Order: sequence, then C-alpha cells, then structure tokens
Amino acid sequence: MNVGLLLILPFTGAIATFLAGKLNQKYAFYLAELIGFTLFGLVLSIFLSYERPINVAIEWFSFGNATLPFGVYIDHLSLVMLLIATGLGALDIHFSHDYMKEDPDKPRYYAKILFFIGGMILLVSAKELLGLFVGWEFMGLASYLLISFWHQTKDPADAGVAAFLYTKFGDVFLFAAIGILYYYAHTLDLQYINLLATWHQIPDNVSFVVAIFIFIAAIGKSGQFPLFPWLMRAMEGPTTVSALIHGATMVNSGIYIVARMFDFYVAAEALVVVAAVASLSAFIGATSALAQNEIKKVLAYSTMSHLSLAFIGLGVGSLSAGMTHLTNHAVFKALLFLGAGAVIMAARHNKDLFRLGGAWKKLTLVGLFMGVGALSLSGIPPFSGFYSKDAIIAGAILNPKTYGLISTLTIIAGVLSVAYVFRIWLLIFAGKPRDIELHERIKTPSKFWISLPLGIMALITFVLGFYQKELSEYVTGKELPEAHVEYLLPLLLSAIILVGFIVYKFYKSRPDARDKLAAQPLMKTFHKILFNGYFVEHMITWFVKNVIINSVSKTLNWIDVRVIDGAVNGMLNLSQKIFALFNATHTSKVSNQAGVMILGLLAVLVVIFIGSLV
Amino acid sequence: MSYELLIFAPLALSLLVYIPTRNLGGTKYVALALFVYMFSKTIELYKQLPEHGYMLLGKFLEVKAFDFVLTLQVDRLSVIMLLLTCVLLILVTLSSWSLTKKPAAYFSLLIFFSGAIFGVFMSTNFIWFFIFWELTLIPMLFLVGIWGAEGRIYAAIKFFLYTHVASMLILLAFFLIYKQSGTFDMTLVKEAMLTTPALIWWLMFIGFAVKMPLFPFHTWLPDAHVQAPSPVSALLAGVLLKMGAYAMMRMVILLLPIQAEKFAWIFVVLGLLTLLYAGFMALYETHVKKMVAYSSISHMGLIAIAMGAMSYASLSAALFEMIGHALIISPLFLIAGFLHQKMNTWEMTDMGGVMQKAPYLSAIFVLAGLGALGLPGTMGFIGEITILISTIESFGSWMVVILLGSLISASYLIWTFRRVIYGEMSEGVKNANFSMNRVEFFSLLVFAFLIILFGIYPQTLFDEINQAFGVYFTGGTL
Amino acid sequence: MSAFTILFAFGLLSFAMRSSLLLKLLSLLVLVAAGYLTLNSYALPLNGFSLTSGVALFEVVLFIVLGAAILNEDENINVTQTIFIGTASVALLESNTLLNFIISFEALSVISFVLVANVKNATQASGAVKMFIAGSIATAFIVLGAAFYLFENHPLNSGLQNVETFGTLGLWLMLMGLFYKLTIVPMHSWAADSYAEIKASHAALLSGAAKTVAALAVFKTFSPFLLQNLEFNAPILVALAIVTMTLGNFLALFQKKVAKILAYSSIAHAGYMLLAFVAVKSAYASTSLLYIAIAYVFMQSALFTLIGNLKENASELSLEDLKGLGEKDKITALIFTVQLFSLAGVPLLAGFISKAVLVYAVVDADLPIVALVTLLNSALSVAYYAWIVKHVYFDEASLDYELKSLRFAPLMAQFILLGGTIYFGIFAFGVFKVAF
Repeated sequence: MNVGLLLILPFTGAIATFLAGKLNQKYAFYLAELIGFTLFGLVLSIFLSYERPINVAIEWFSFGNATLPFGVYIDHLSLVMLLIATGLGALDIHFSHDYMKEDPDKPRYYAKILFFIGGMILLVSAKELLGLFVGWEFMGLASYLLISFWHQTKDPADAGVAAFLYTKFGDVFLFAAIGILYYYAHTLDLQYINLLATWHQIPDNVSFVVAIFIFIAAIGKSGQFPLFPWLMRAMEGPTTVSALIHGATMVNSGIYIVARMFDFYVAAEALVVVAAVASLSAFIGATSALAQNEIKKVLAYSTMSHLSLAFIGLGVGSLSAGMTHLTNHAVFKALLFLGAGAVIMAARHNKDLFRLGGAWKKLTLVGLFMGVGALSLSGIPPFSGFYSKDAIIAGAILNPKTYGLISTLTIIAGVLSVAYVFRIWLLIFAGKPRDIELHERIKTPSKFWISLPLGIMALITFVLGFYQKELSEYVTGKELPEAHVEYLLPLLLSAIILVGFIVYKFYKSRPDARDKLAAQPLMKTFHKILFNGYFVEHMITWFVKNVIINSVSKTLNWIDVRVIDGAVNGMLNLSQKIFALFNATHTSKVSNQAGVMILGLLAVLVVIFIGSLV
Repeated sequence: MSYELLIFAPLALSLLVYIPTRNLGGTKYVALALFVYMFSKTIELYKQLPEHGYMLLGKFLEVKAFDFVLTLQVDRLSVIMLLLTCVLLILVTLSSWSLTKKPAAYFSLLIFFSGAIFGVFMSTNFIWFFIFWELTLIPMLFLVGIWGAEGRIYAAIKFFLYTHVASMLILLAFFLIYKQSGTFDMTLVKEAMLTTPALIWWLMFIGFAVKMPLFPFHTWLPDAHVQAPSPVSALLAGVLLKMGAYAMMRMVILLLPIQAEKFAWIFVVLGLLTLLYAGFMALYETHVKKMVAYSSISHMGLIAIAMGAMSYASLSAALFEMIGHALIISPLFLIAGFLHQKMNTWEMTDMGGVMQKAPYLSAIFVLAGLGALGLPGTMGFIGEITILISTIESFGSWMVVILLGSLISASYLIWTFRRVIYGEMSEGVKNANFSMNRVEFFSLLVFAFLIILFGIYPQTLFDEINQAFGVYFTGGTL
Repeated sequence: MSAFTILFAFGLLSFAMRSSLLLKLLSLLVLVAAGYLTLNSYALPLNGFSLTSGVALFEVVLFIVLGAAILNEDENINVTQTIFIGTASVALLESNTLLNFIISFEALSVISFVLVANVKNATQASGAVKMFIAGSIATAFIVLGAAFYLFENHPLNSGLQNVETFGTLGLWLMLMGLFYKLTIVPMHSWAADSYAEIKASHAALLSGAAKTVAALAVFKTFSPFLLQNLEFNAPILVALAIVTMTLGNFLALFQKKVAKILAYSSIAHAGYMLLAFVAVKSAYASTSLLYIAIAYVFMQSALFTLIGNLKENASELSLEDLKGLGEKDKITALIFTVQLFSLAGVPLLAGFISKAVLVYAVVDADLPIVALVTLLNSALSVAYYAWIVKHVYFDEASLDYELKSLRFAPLMAQFILLGGTIYFGIFAFGVFKVAF
C-alpha cells in the first residue's frame, strides 16, 4: 500500500502541482512541499516497519511469447537511497521557496522536481533491470528539463542538450545490456541475475560485456571520465536542481546500479575496470576543481571526483566503502550545493568566486554549515567523509589489482579535495570583500527557508560520522573495513594539513604569491588544461561536429541527393533523351511516313524470312 | 448493415460532397461524422470477430473465371489496422479544421481515401486488394498536389509515379501467384501454391518496400511528406506507410514464410541501413519537416528489422511499433507544419524559443519527440524494447546495434528541440502569432494522451496484437 | 433482320433526312434496335458471317459508343458516316471467312476515308491525306498477302487454313497491312499526326471504334495462324508489341498538345492489344483483348470527343490551355480526369481491369518478362496522364482561360461513356461470361 503510493504519488503529484500552480503560483510550492514531506514520511514508515525486503512481482506486458515484468523490490540498499532521495528532495523543495521566489514558472519547476523524485524512487525500488531503466530515463528527462529550466537563454538550453545526449550515450548501453541479459538469463530480475552470475550460469564473456555496458551507462549518469562534461554544463540550471540532481541523488544512480549488481560485477571480474576508470576520473575531477572560478563548477568537479571515489570503493571490492561514501557524499554535497545556492542568491546570482569574499559576517550561518560540509568533504575526522574516504583509500592500497597507479591516483584525489573545498570556502567567507559594491548588496538569507535545511543537513553530516559502522552494516551487512595499512592515517592527515596550509597561504594570507605563481607560463598552461577539464569536452565536440555531422552525415546526404534520388530524377532526364531520339525520327512528312511503313515492312519480312530458314 | 458499404459508401459520398458548385464549409462535419461512424462500425466488427482466423463479411461481384471476387474478410490484424486508420482519420480531420482553401474538395478526398483504405484492409482477394491499394494513391496525389507547399507538384507526381511503379511489381507477383495456385484469395493461397518461385517474393518485397519505405526506395517520402499539408503528412505517415508495413507483414512474411525465412537477412540489412541512414540524414537536416520525415523513415527501418525476425514476439513488436509510430510521428508533422504556416520558414536556424510563445504546443512537440526517441513512458519505448528483445532472440546479441539508431534519433531530436523550441526567440518567432484553432489543438492533445496511455499500459494493445498473431504461431514458429 | 441490315438501311435512308434532331433521334433508336437484335443473336444473314456472344457484347458496346458519338455530333453527314462505320464494323466483326474479312475491312477503311474527308481547314486536310496514303499502302500489302496465300492453293472463302512458307509470308504481309489500322510499329507513323490533326470527333471514331473493331476482327480471324506456328510468330509479335508501346509512351511523354498525347497513347494501347495476340495460347487471351477493346473504346472516344468540345480547333489544345479547368468546370474536369486515369490503368475503372487481365494473359502464356515490361510501360504512361491532370488541377488558372463548357447533348454523351468506363471497371463478369 505504502509502496504503491510511494511510486505513484510523485507523478500524480507533479501533475496536480502544475495544475494547482496554474491557479495560483503559491499553491505549487505548498503542494510540492506537502508531497515532498509525505514521500519522506512514507519512506520513513517503510524504514521503521522494515522486516524483510519488500518483493512484489508485477507483469507489465507480454508481447508474443515474451513477458516483461515490472516489479518492486525494496531492501536496505534501496531504503538508504530512498531516504536520501526523499529526504534531500523534501529539504530541497523547502529551500526552493526562497530560491525560486522571483521565478514566474514555479508550477513547472515544482512539477519537474516531483517528477524527478518519482524517477529516483522508481529507479531504486525496481525489482528488474527494466524498471530500473525506466526510472533511469525518467531522471534523465527530468535532469534535462530542469537544466534547461531557464530555456529562454542560450547557455541553459545548450547545457540541457549536452546533459541529455551525454547520458543518453550511456543509457543506450544499459538498454543493450537489458536486451543481452534477457537473451542469456531469460530474466531481468536483479537479484536473480546476481545469483545466475555467481553460479556462472551466464557465459563469462557475456557477463563481462554486460558489466562493461552497464558501467558505461553509470559513467554517463554519474559524470565519470570521459562522459563528465555535461555535469559541469549542468550547473547552468537552478542551484537547487544542481544540489538535488547533480550533487546528491541522480548522479548516485550509476553507483547504485553497480552496487545493486555487485555480485554480478564480482562474478564478471569487471570491478577492476570500474576502479581504473574511476581513479582516472577522480584525479581529473580533483585537479580540475582547483582551477575553476565558479562556485558551482568547483562543486561539480568535486562531485565527479567524489563519485569516482565511491566507484573506487566498489571497484576495490568493498561494497560497504562505496555505499557509505555515497551516502555521506550525498548529504554533505547537498549541503555544500545548497549553501552555495544561498551564497549565490544572497550575492544577487553572482557565481564568480573572485568577486565574493569576506561574506562571513553577513552569511555567518551559511558559512558555518558550509564549513561542516567542507570538513566532511575533505575527510577530517570525526566528520562522516573521513571514514568512508579512508576506507576506500585503504581498500585501493590493499587490493593487489588496484595497488599502484589506481591507488596513487585515489590518494591524490582524496587529498586534493581539501584544497579545492577550502579554496572556495576561503574565497567566499574569509578575507576582505573583493567587490565592495556587490558586498554591500548581500543580504542575510531567511532563517526558516534557507538556514534551516542547511542546518539539518549539517547536523546529519556531523551525526553520520558517528554512525558509519551502523550505516555500513545496514546497507551491506558488513562492517567498513578497518584501515589496516600502517601509517596511512597519520600520513593522510599530515598531507591534508599540509595542503590545507598551502591553500590557506595562497588564498587567505598571501594572494600576491599566488598571483605571481599563476603568471608563470607553465602554470598558465596547466591552468588552462585544468580549467577546461582536460579538453575532454572539446575533443568530443570536435569528433561529433567534424566526424559525425560534417563527414558521415554530410557524405550520406550527398549520396542521397546525388546518387539515390539522383537515379530517380535521372529517369526523367533519360526519358527526355529517349523522347528526343524518337521524336527526331517522327517527322510529319508524308513521304517519310510512307517510307517508314515500307522499310519497316521489309525489315519484318526479312526477319520472317531468316526465321523461316532457321 | 453490410460491411461492403464501409468501402463503397465513402467512395460515393466523396463524389456527392464534391460535386456541388458552391464550396460548402460543412463538408468537414460530414467527414467527421462519417469517420466516427466508421469507427463505431469497426468496433462493432471487432467485437464480432472469432477467436481465431478470418470472419467472412461477404463476397461480391463474383467473376468465377478469373477468381475476381470482392471477398471481404477480416481478422484481428486487419481490424487493428482499421481501428488505427479510423483514429487517425478522425484526428486528421480535426487537425484540418481551420482549412480555408477549397475545403469541400479536401474533405471529399479524405472521405474517398477512407473508403479506399478500408478496402485495402478488408479485402482478401489480391486483385481487389490491389485495386484499393492503388485507389489510395489518387486522393493522396490530389491532396499533395493541390494543398501542398511550394514544391508540391514535383512531390505529388514523384510520389504517384514512384509508388505506382512499385505497385506494378506487386501486381505481377499476384499474377504469378495466381498462375501457381489458381486463386487470388490470400487466405487460400498458402495451401494452394505448389511452388513459390523466389521471384514472387522479390517482386512483392520490393513493391512493399517502396511503400514502407526501406532504403534505397525511400526518396519519394521526404518530398511527399514535406510538401504535403501537415494533416496529410500525418495521414501519409500514419496510414499509408502502415499500409505498406501491413502488406509486408501479411503477404511477404505470413504468406510466404519459407521464402521470407530464407531472405530474412534482407529485412535485417535493409532495415538496419534504413534505420541508420535515415538517422544520419535527419541529423544533418535543418529543414524541420524533412527531419521529421527522415525520422519517420528511420523508424520504419526498425519495423522492418522486427519483421525480419519473424517470430511471434517480433511481429507483435513490429505491429506495436507501427501503431506507436503512427501516433508519434503524426503530431510531429502537424506541429512542424503549423510552425511553417505561422513563420513561413522551414529552416530550424530561423526558429528558436517557440516555447516562450506557445508553451503547450511546444510541450506536445517535445513529448512526441521524446516518444520518437524511445523514452520510457511513451509508446516509442515499448516498441523499441520489444523489438530489441525479440530480434536478439532471433538473431543474437549483435542486434543491439539497432540502439545506435536510438542514439542518433536522440541526437537529432534533442538538437531539434534546442533549435526550435528552446533558446532565445528568433525574429520570426517574435513576429509570429501562434494561436491555434481549438479543435486542432484538441487533436494534438489526443495524440499526446494516446502516446502516454499506451506507453504506460501497453498490455491493452498487446492483448489484441498477440491474439492477432497467435493464430499463426500455434506450433511455435511459422 | 439483323443489326447490319437495319443499320445499312438506315444509313442509306439518312441521306434523305434534313432535320438534324430527327436524324439523331432516329439513329439512336436504330442503334438501340440494332443492339437488341444483336443480343438476340441475329447475325448478318449471309454465308460466312456468324455471331458469337463475345462479338455480340462488343457490338452492343460499340452501338452505345456510336450513340454517344452521334449525340455529340452536330453535322448530319457525320451522323450518317457514323452509322456506316457501325455497319461496316458489324460486318467485319461477324465475318467468318478471309474474303468477307478483307471486304469488310476495306469497307471500314473506305468509310473512314470518307469520314475524315469532310475537312474544315488545312490541318484537318493534312491529317486526312496522311491517313489516306498510309491506308492505300496498307491495302496494297493486304492484297499482296492475299495473293501469296492464294498462291499456296488456300481458298479465300473459308477460315484460315494451315499454311506453308508462302502462306506464312502471305499472312504476315496481310497482318502487316492490317496493323496499319491498329497502328502497330512500323505501320504507325501516320497515326499520331492524323489522329491529332483530323477533327477530334473523327479521331474518336477512328482511334476508338475503328481500331478496336479491327483488332478484334484480326484476332478472331488470324488466331489459328498465330497458334499454328507460335514459337515462330510469338517473338516477332512480342518485339512489335514492346516496341509499339514503348515508342508510343515515350513519344507521348513530353508532348505539348493534348491531342498529340492522346494520339501517341493510342499507339501505345495498340501495343498492349497486340499482347493478346502474343498470349494467344492462353485461355485469357481473347477475353483480355475483348476487355481492353471495350475499355479502350469508351475511354478513347470520350477523351477525343471531350477535347473536341473544349476547343473548336482541338488539335491546337495545349496543356497550358487546360490550366484552371479543375476550378472553372468541375464536372468536365472530373470526367476528363476519370477517363485519363482509366487510360492510365487506375483501378475501379475499365482501363485497369482490362489491362490487368491482359497482363495476366501474358503471364499465363509464360512470358513474365514481357508482362513486366508491359507493366513498367503502363507505369511510364501514368507520367503523362498525371502531367495532364497536373495542368487541370494543380496549376493556377491562366488569365486567358478560354475553354468552352459542354452543352447538354455532348455532356450526356460524356456521361454515357463515363458510365461505360466505370461499369466495366467494377462489373467484370459480363465480359468473362462471353465466349469469343
């Protein structure tokens, strides 16, 4: 009952919200908030009354002799994701009250947000890969629509296109995986597929290919290398959307799917691929985050990097490390994003870090809560981020397959997170205002609508740090692996402190030294590479534009016009030529006409004569 | 009432409403009433259908010596097509509500078309099938030629000639069949044929492939669909192309299963080529209606692949995709035509920001586009996944390449949204007045509703579709 | 009493009549009576003539068409000639022996010359002369052929007998002469000019009635010969048929004058008809020829009389002139289009089903490739018919639109012919029932 309502309410709610909002803009928010918290309540009630996995098998439709199911399966893993999605979703809606205050399109906004939450719920409570895919695509659509929410302007509209197409590229592989799995496993039930793979009932090479295909989809959705550029572009959307979709929930679905099919990945021996790609992404994300000028871009790269860490956690074989990091990250990243949203809103929609500064006095609460998020993100004990990150790094070092390059990249990414997060915190809150005029106009945000949700998240971030063991056990039934690597903890901590110190120096006390360094040609080149995200987007765009559109499509178009349709139109020319030929022989002279008759007769007679001889 | 009237009454009625010299505006009501009536009769017919096989509605105009008998027989497959046709005819009539140029002639041609198309789906005699098949071309020729856009004459005549040449091949195939079997009745032919020369199969395949259309026989379509008035484009894509696919299914596959099995690879190769080729064409296209037309062709490639798999599941999937495609492509054509009508340009580069002036219209365009790219929750997705699963079942995992088509279609559709619907308003959009006739908008809403309805509850359709094909697969395979 | 007798008698009598109305009414009555007699199997009461059910059906059709032609006529003398054409046609169709055949055929030719000799201007005169010269050459062939045939000691006053080399040569010579009337390549060259240049109503009679009558009679008389040595005869006939239809269709393709298009399409149709000769071994051959003759006589007569009605000087009627017809004169445009579509082989019209049966006869005679070529030719022909329709409906009316609208009687004539085209397009059993 609760489950059914949980699945349907967001979608009906989205429609209702839109319609209500058309009556009166205000209704949209209140209805959306009501639905948001109802959803959270529903999840909580499921969570509290949970005994065993909820398992409902439903047949969706059958075509010919094949049947496609659409069941519901909710276990601990799903519940954690549900709590994240609905909890953060509800807080996000609450936060939106002020953030979207000025916008005339509130009904559309809230409807889309609810639709997104619905997609996420569908994704995590799906029993089969098919249902998961439906939720997956719904979220993709919602993400597209919300990124392009301000469709009137060029950048958000372009960003939406990028978001949809980059993720669609991955989705196609997930779709393919569904087709292949249905063929080999005759089922799409995720639990069953895991079992089949574990028993090696699916051919090994097939499982490996399927695992890679699914991982490609995860790469797309979770913004991993090389499909991450959309995530940065997605920051064109409202910050509330970035917080919910591109920080806390949707981007996690890639990790969720790998976690959901963890046994399958183990059996397919594809985890090392996951770890390898993820470590590269982690490195790219962490380094690029250092060179960004916009708050949201920094957070976007940091999201990429942290999702990679969660992937690495899974990749090194530790489901618990990956999932706890996912959970921790979801909360503190939503906190940071919404905090950034609060800052941006207060600063009159200015996102440039270098025009901010010294905002501590005016935005004390926000600064405080963001600080909590930053500490957690950088992995400083006792905040939640520390435990999971530590476990992941330890796992990467301990696993012989990932020890070496992968673990090194992981460590670098882990440590660098301190740098970028404190960089933005310092640039926003510390020092003196760089843009006095802007600073004057900053006003303290509402306590109830803005600071309250931030506070709740900060609190959860803090509290979560003390429940890591329980969280890990809840999700996976296993404890977080203890860091058995000697000296790791002190080494990491000292590295973090060192990096933190450098950042403090460069961004707080000695900006002149920083500027001098940045003026070096080599540093300029580095900065350019990092600022542009290693030019991955440029390369992909170049390929699509020059190879696919201007070469392949253009050539085919030429062939179509000149050859295929040309042949059809050529018939016209040909018949014109034949007509001219015939017409030339048909004059209206009587003598010619009579001549033709007689000559023709003779010809026929000759043929007959020869024929009769033969 | 006898059912032959469903064919001949519209044919006669069309003349009746055409002849009066005063241009009667009320013809559209006549057309609408007729189509609704035909729809109700078809539903009635549907309820009477036997569990399996054909229901004989009557034999008329018998010429024993040549087996030239108007045999009206329907089974589930044909009635499903009839229902689809009725729905589209009604919606197309509604979409033409504000037509001002010679409305009497326009609607009389639509009425004529309805009679002919009913004949196609109801007659099981090859010759009569062919008669109605050809008869559908006539109203289309005029609808494109008189009400079309600037290149209408070239398009109309090209369409007419191209498809007529194809029909000649079909006719020859029918004659060869008759020579083999001594009967023109398609329900008896399969048993009566002693041998089936490959020539028969090829003639029919090429003939119907033109109508579907499959690469490389597709070039009439972009011209015809683009130049036709938008409701007619919808009719072309929704009914005429489906007629080709229906005939392909019924005659090339179900009638000649052994040959079809042997040449299944032709379906797959041409289907794939069509899917990808048309996709790339659409990707390069900046002409908004041409883009839709190529997208339409691309989907027909998908249907061809599904047909080539020749299994119970794949044929069901193909039929579902046919219906889905009809409902999805039609609103795209309608809206593309509407934009052209209001802005006087076809080029996407001259558009942009339509969402700001016509949000609901844009929303329907986006919805239909999402259906075309196979987003879950729309009919497009159901068609795509069923085709994927059933073709993999028949040909193996490599059939996942058809998803490349879905990737390409996503690319051009999303990029089209960007260029047409989203972004800053272009000059043309700023100056245009996008107010739409309420009735026409209503028909778009119905399309949108159906796309979602059957996208979420496909079972309602599949119940019927499965039953339609079940009879052919009682032994497992054809 | 037979159809021949009363037609002949009335034809002679008609010279004495002055009142045009009376003459027309009476001739229609006589045609009805002739039809009645024919249906009751009253054959020409002389030796060597007989009436089969197929011939009877065609004669009735012919009377209907002649009736329509008479309704359309405005000159007494033309009515008389039309009646005489009917008379000669009846004789030709019913003739059983070679001698009767030749005599009736020549009679028909002579009446045709007389008919077209009624010229009004230089163009018509030119057309008439061309026809006459070609006709005399053809007659020479026929007589020469008959001489060869006699040379082999076959009697003329019976049906065809099995022939040896000389006989073969003689009969082929005769066939070639007869092909003049059928406008088969290479005996076609006069036809396009003559049909287009002579008065349209005359062209209607010649290219419609006279041609189909000749085709049926030739088939009836010569089919034993064709069957006797089919392996030898068929390839030549196939070649002639294909060349004729292809030539006709291609030449019609880019003509500017409507009459010219119709003239060439008439040649193309002769090619189709010749296919029935090719497929003579098929049981469907005679039926198909009968059917295409019936269909063709309706369509072609209708179209030629129609363009004669649209413009005084029909040979000058160009495609450009037709622009706007669809708007200015709905009914005429519709009739025109339907008949054109019938010629093009669009279904539910006689032109389609007749061509279909014909092609099937070819398929039945194991010549699928020839059938394919025929079908493609037919598709090609659709191009120029559609091109005419394009001018009628798709183009904007030109400012100097000057086509006349039809008066009552010609319109009735058109309706009669349209009725025939549609009736035989839907109800085929009448044709299949009869034996030829």
